[in-house]
Amino acid sequence: MLKKEIIYRNPLLNLGYEHEDILPNGGLGAVLAHAGVGKTALLVQVALNMMIREESVLHVSLQDAVSKVDVWYHELFHNIAENFNEAEIKEYWDRIQAYRFIMTFRVESFSVATLEERLTDLLEQNIFKPHTVIIDGLKFDEAGRGQLAFLKELAKKYAMRIWFTVHAHRHERPADNGLPVSFLHVADLFDVIVQLEAKADEVYIKALKGQSPDAKQDSLLLDPATMLIKNGK
Amino acid sequence: MKIDDVKIRNIGISAHIDSGKTTLTERILFYTKRIHAIHDVKGKDGVGATMDSMELEKERGITIASAATYCEWNGYEINIIDTPGHVDFTIEVERSLRVLDGAILVLCAVGGVQSQSITVDMQMKRYKVPCIAFVNKCDRSGANPFRVISQLRAKLGHNAIAMQIPIGLETAAEGVVDLVSMKALYFDGDNGEIIRTEEIPQNLLAESKSKRDELIDAASIFSDELTEAILEEKEITPDLLYAAVRKGTLKREITPVYMGSAYKNKAVQPMLDGVNYLLPCPSEVENIALDMEKNEEPIVLENDPDKPIVALAFKLEDGKYGQLTYIRVYQGTVSKGSTIVNVRSGKKVKVGRVVRMHADQMEEVENLQSGYIGALFGIECSSGDTFVSQGLNLTMTSMYVPKPVISLAISPKDNKSQMAMSKALNRFSKEDPTFKTFVDPETNETIIEGMGELHLDIYVERMRREYGADVNTGNPRVAYRETITQRADFNYTHKKQTGGSGQFGRIAGWIEPISDAEFVFENKIFGGSIPTQYIPACEKGFKQSMEKGPKLEFPITGVKVVINDGAFHAVDSSDMAFQAAARGAFREAYLRAKPVIHEPIMKVVVETPPEFQGPVMGLLNQRRGMIIGSQDEGVMCVIESQIPLAEMFGFSTVLRSSTQGKAQFTMEFAHYRQVPQAIAEKIALEVAQNKKTAA
Repeated sequence: MLKKEIIYRNPLLNLGYEHEDILPNGGLGAVLAHAGVGKTALLVQVALNMMIREESVLHVSLQDAVSKVDVWYHELFHNIAENFNEAEIKEYWDRIQAYRFIMTFRVESFSVATLEERLTDLLEQNIFKPHTVIIDGLKFDEAGRGQLAFLKELAKKYAMRIWFTVHAHRHERPADNGLPVSFLHVADLFDVIVQLEAKADEVYIKALKGQSPDAKQDSLLLDPATMLIKNGK
Repeated sequence: MKIDDVKIRNIGISAHIDSGKTTLTERILFYTKRIHAIHDVKGKDGVGATMDSMELEKERGITIASAATYCEWNGYEINIIDTPGHVDFTIEVERSLRVLDGAILVLCAVGGVQSQSITVDMQMKRYKVPCIAFVNKCDRSGANPFRVISQLRAKLGHNAIAMQIPIGLETAAEGVVDLVSMKALYFDGDNGEIIRTEEIPQNLLAESKSKRDELIDAASIFSDELTEAILEEKEITPDLLYAAVRKGTLKREITPVYMGSAYKNKAVQPMLDGVNYLLPCPSEVENIALDMEKNEEPIVLENDPDKPIVALAFKLEDGKYGQLTYIRVYQGTVSKGSTIVNVRSGKKVKVGRVVRMHADQMEEVENLQSGYIGALFGIECSSGDTFVSQGLNLTMTSMYVPKPVISLAISPKDNKSQMAMSKALNRFSKEDPTFKTFVDPETNETIIEGMGELHLDIYVERMRREYGADVNTGNPRVAYRETITQRADFNYTHKKQTGGSGQFGRIAGWIEPISDAEFVFENKIFGGSIPTQYIPACEKGFKQSMEKGPKLEFPITGVKVVINDGAFHAVDSSDMAFQAAARGAFREAYLRAKPVIHEPIMKVVVETPPEFQGPVMGLLNQRRGMIIGSQDEGVMCVIESQIPLAEMFGFSTVLRSSTQGKAQFTMEFAHYRQVPQAIAEKIALEVAQNKKTAA
């Protein structure tokens, strides 16, 4: 019962994306927003959805410690499963936790080569094979196109999908297509782009790229109290 | 009469294993002239550090039991408890912190805030112990005290603030700049005992000023006088600055950070000044006792030597002079010849010799006043007992004692060892509340239980060395538990007629799993099908059944029993009959309630150089481990995982050999989790085999 409930809440499908994974195999996805709007919260929900579907998620954080990332997952999972008792949540969490691996790097020591080295460690020893990778905290204004192109190659090589959080600076005027200027040089490498936009007390989730033109697009919001995705009015 | 305890410090030295706390203690004792030569841990002279008083500690280069010592620094009396760093001995750390007023948190300038530092810090928070930090090993390659300070902030949430900056690091480590006096300090002489004060080198002047500004800024929150002085641009005197930092430290809102290298004899003395200036004296710490006569109502003790005695026995040792009981006096004065009462047993005890300890040497004193730590001879008690004056019924708050997770069967090799073994076990279980021992009634084996493999290993060694008891040990056994996974009904009649009055009782109801309690009993009988006087007997019968599962014989937890019907006989029903009926009912329902085995899962944190990250993850993975994550820490990488205790035996050896001895790990109990089916079958087979062997 718990499982059905969480799959029902699959967060991004309602934006008009057709496939449950949202991203194609080897594809890159980006969640754009200003600082503190909820990029990590949104991607952790995408990750939780994968974990519930028994697909493995590698969460790479360049800004937080393992324990802090873990807290995100716990908090959001508890919010998602709020109608269930502690024992059920714990039991379910024990079951899906194995589908998640957190890896943290210092921003300055992160490189695609290091990530590949760590990935190889995991794959060769059959420790963990990620279906989806989340990279939280990569600085796009500093990361050259080459680094992103390498990551795209890596995604194809290991048949993974990679999601990124993209920090849009408040002081920076967006380009005509609504994308942050610091992101433009790599935007074409991305298959899916989603934007979080804070307006008054609401945080709106908008699909900017990759959605099916025929699909119905619901308005989605990020609930500021629980950070969960909900349907807008 | 209040005593002037302004110049008394009761401090502990807590840290991650191998961050050099025993070496630091050794240097403190040397500079305070308690010892006249320095012997390093695992030093070439083979003498071992003075605080590692047990022979075994000397051999292994680790500190097991906390040894208390007393020293004087610039007119201040400092009682130091050296605490162990390994998680297996955490109870020792907890006990020490319980009796301390302040602590030095020792951190490695290379390793920084490591997993054990986090555990120790949590314990300090629990007992609200104010601390100063000492970043040790600044002479090591890769040393960076400011990285450690930022880790103290990020990982432990301390408002860590540098009191010094280093003059050179790694092999160039020469001394420190004191940011309070704004002087450069160098440590000359064979053992760094001569402090040379000079002007700050030109190249460090700007950094010193900026760091001093940070220090003043952080301290100003705690002192209006200091804020005023800053605003009015008056001179900020050392006294003013120390007073502000002290206020913040006592509130645990600021952590002053000192730095140096104990091994290279650099900057230990300024840290001792920090102990004097910044850590609290006994009367600045609020100590609470519980009044047993007023339903454990908390009472604040007064640090007054003329008040009735309240003292806590926090450690026992069986040494060459008989039983030595370490006590902390919280109120009153414990004098030679006086009579005190052990609150737990109610026994009156006459105080014999009173001593102050310096590792394994002692100094006889007439009395111990409130605020002091010392030891008594010939007192029969357990660790954690409270002693009071006659007529008082107070107990110090009970200490948190975790349950053991591992057991080991032991048997003496010969008759001589038999006696020695029982003497040793009696002593150890009194000394250490996490160490338990009992005789298994079925196998007749003596079982010892503890907090980890190393914990038990050390006690087996101590038995041999200190008591001459040679013992054989069985394989370590994990403390498995059983629980049920679904509801099952029962309707059981216990009926016996063997001449004389018979036994009759019928119980009906169900058992079901619960997650938040070990055992719950609910009586839903209306109409008296079981008379009220037999209900406690029913509950007792079910409770007895929980002690051992009918099939695998592990303790059962997480069961709710509901009874809703039954029957009795006016003559043949009795408490005994209903207890037996309850046991029968439980047996009847238990297997239908789909029992499963739960095993202890340990949180295992490995710190390794990044080049060994792959092999280490492989090792963890092979042991049914779930890796939670890996964290890049620059020179080290931290891998956090959850692994069943059953898979952890011998891990330290394997880890050492796979990482050229460069990785280390800590392990602590996390939670219980269901054993996978294949493993459960293996365990069932083992249990059956053990039973066969025992029969």
